[in-house]
Amino acid sequence: MRRLLDRVGLASWLDARTGYREAASVMLDEPLPPGTGWFFTLGSILLALLSIQLLTGAFLTLYYAPTPDHAYDSVRFITNLSAGGLVRGLHHYGASFIVIAMVAHMLRVIVFGSYKPPREVTWLSGLALLGLILAFALTGYLLPWDQRAYWATVVTINIARLTPVGGEIVAGIMRGGSSIGALTLTRWYSAHVIFLPAALIVLTAGHMVLMRRQGISGPVRPRSGPHTPFYPRQAARDITMIVLVLAALTAFAWHGTPALEGPADPTDATFIPRPEWYFLGLFQLLKYFPGKWEVVGAMVIPGLAAGVLALLPWIDRGPERDPRRRRAVMLGVTAGVALVVTLTTLGWRDRPVTAASRDTWTLREIGGRPMIQKANCARCHSETGVSEPLEGLPAARGPEWLSSHIIDPEMIAPGLREPPTVLNEREVAAMVAYARRASLQPYPGFTPHIETVGAVFARYCVGCHKIDGDGGKDGPDLSHEGSKHDAATLRRWIVDPELVDPDADMPSFGDRLSSAQLDAVSTYLAARK
Amino acid sequence: MADCADHSLPPGRRRALVVFVNATLALVGGGLSALLGVFTLRLPKGAAGGRWVRAGTTAELKAHEPMARILSVSRVNGWYRERARETVFLVWDGRDSVRAMSATCTHLGCQVQWDGEGKKFKCPCHGGVYGRDGAVLSGPPPRGLDVVEARIDPADASVLVRL
Repeated sequence: MRRLLDRVGLASWLDARTGYREAASVMLDEPLPPGTGWFFTLGSILLALLSIQLLTGAFLTLYYAPTPDHAYDSVRFITNLSAGGLVRGLHHYGASFIVIAMVAHMLRVIVFGSYKPPREVTWLSGLALLGLILAFALTGYLLPWDQRAYWATVVTINIARLTPVGGEIVAGIMRGGSSIGALTLTRWYSAHVIFLPAALIVLTAGHMVLMRRQGISGPVRPRSGPHTPFYPRQAARDITMIVLVLAALTAFAWHGTPALEGPADPTDATFIPRPEWYFLGLFQLLKYFPGKWEVVGAMVIPGLAAGVLALLPWIDRGPERDPRRRRAVMLGVTAGVALVVTLTTLGWRDRPVTAASRDTWTLREIGGRPMIQKANCARCHSETGVSEPLEGLPAARGPEWLSSHIIDPEMIAPGLREPPTVLNEREVAAMVAYARRASLQPYPGFTPHIETVGAVFARYCVGCHKIDGDGGKDGPDLSHEGSKHDAATLRRWIVDPELVDPDADMPSFGDRLSSAQLDAVSTYLAARK
Repeated sequence: MADCADHSLPPGRRRALVVFVNATLALVGGGLSALLGVFTLRLPKGAAGGRWVRAGTTAELKAHEPMARILSVSRVNGWYRERARETVFLVWDGRDSVRAMSATCTHLGCQVQWDGEGKKFKCPCHGGVYGRDGAVLSGPPPRGLDVVEARIDPADASVLVRL
């Protein structure tokens, strides 16, 4: 190619006007000290990962809509696009890869003593980049606007309120409005796609200019011999490592599209927020500082750690770079790393138990389906009806909206529908639960037996009893009722509790349930061991 | 940068490294471009054919007289669903068949109106004129009004239009 261009003189023509040959030579012929090896590829890996984030992020904005009404549905739309899962996966896991590469790069700099004069400012600019990248991770986490995103942000903003001076002001700036909502989302979105990237590009460029100005620090014991150019030997090392890292990243993105929880629901008190893994250490630290001491875990300790890192070139002052002769620094760093790893592991193991059950359908959700069929929702919500089938509807509608619509469909589209049938509150709640779940994942097809049980449970039992974490607290949890009673006893009990136990508080259901419903419920409960 | 020429690399090895670096860069760049190209260009196709929408009953229509009906149809655009209003003209033959035509002028997209006295569809923008059957009588339209699939449901004499 180049030879062809040379032959027609185009390359010389272009060079005479742009000076690209000299520019390329400045970029590629960076003189490296002898002994520069594989440890010095970490910065290039970071640069490659950051480029992937910038590229995939820019393309994700083609489809993303930063409003509470559409953010969740637009992310779901992206996930269902050709290559959408992969692009989102690269961006999602890329964030984790950057955190790992960044920590590795920083540890390399510490162990090699590369922050020593004259590279103190390079070190400080690197620390500023670390802060920027954590800010990227934090702001990006909110954007899918699912339960996890919403609640993690609630926690983040509440931590910001702990700031000793002006905490409320900081939290207010982060929140935008008086509560977390549309203004928070647009703020975090512009931070994530405009302000932070601009700062990142400027700081990265500055970091690299400094690196070139001071030169690579090289091995801890300077070797004799001439400097060698970056291209092609070190470039080949860099590119080999980059390809390996990108292959691993692609494998992650290919293997699993990042999970999307249910849409953000500020009224759902049952959701237990958990941060992304790289914040788990901080999350765990907070648990050791209850009440008024919380600010110590949230601000003082992380602040001190950042301060010590920033002052490292002035704490570790001697010219010696060999880690074996800098025992105190190595000991401190090892202790710090051990502490972070321990806290992260503890935070990881301290998982809430309810997290696993969110994949299964609750009885109330199942019971909502026969009710929806009975209420004739399919008259409008079908392939040939005036509206979409329930199963394909956008998931972003909140429970308030859905229940208002179920109670009075006319409210949404006047003039199209028959008068609504009268429903009670529990039936509406079950229908809302079904509609919300069905818009997230296809109905697995439970047997009519389970659907009957679901409808009965959602209509009569759910007020007092809990099954699989859903329901009231006045009566006993029925999740394992089969281990206590057989079907016949349970049936007698439901028909008239006082016949079995004269002191029973539960009302009798013998005259409210049909024989078939009683059979279904009692055999179902008896089977739950 | 003459002081920094890599004398430690034999020319053959240097050439191999150059080829390796450039080829790998090209591969990674090509793969990424392909991925992002597919992501940008391959969008899901909209539902084919549309859905049947009720447009009133034959009792509301006069035989052979075009009647405008404003219908609300649901449109899906990416993640966004909206209800759009669309005007169709229904021409009933007085028995069991109905003809539906889009009110959108085929010239530049204005909405045509039915002139009951002249028995013509007239476009207010650039003077396009169509006959009762939708065929162009005069003016700039390149073709007749677009025909919309329609049928009468024998059960309750309601008119259904596919939009």
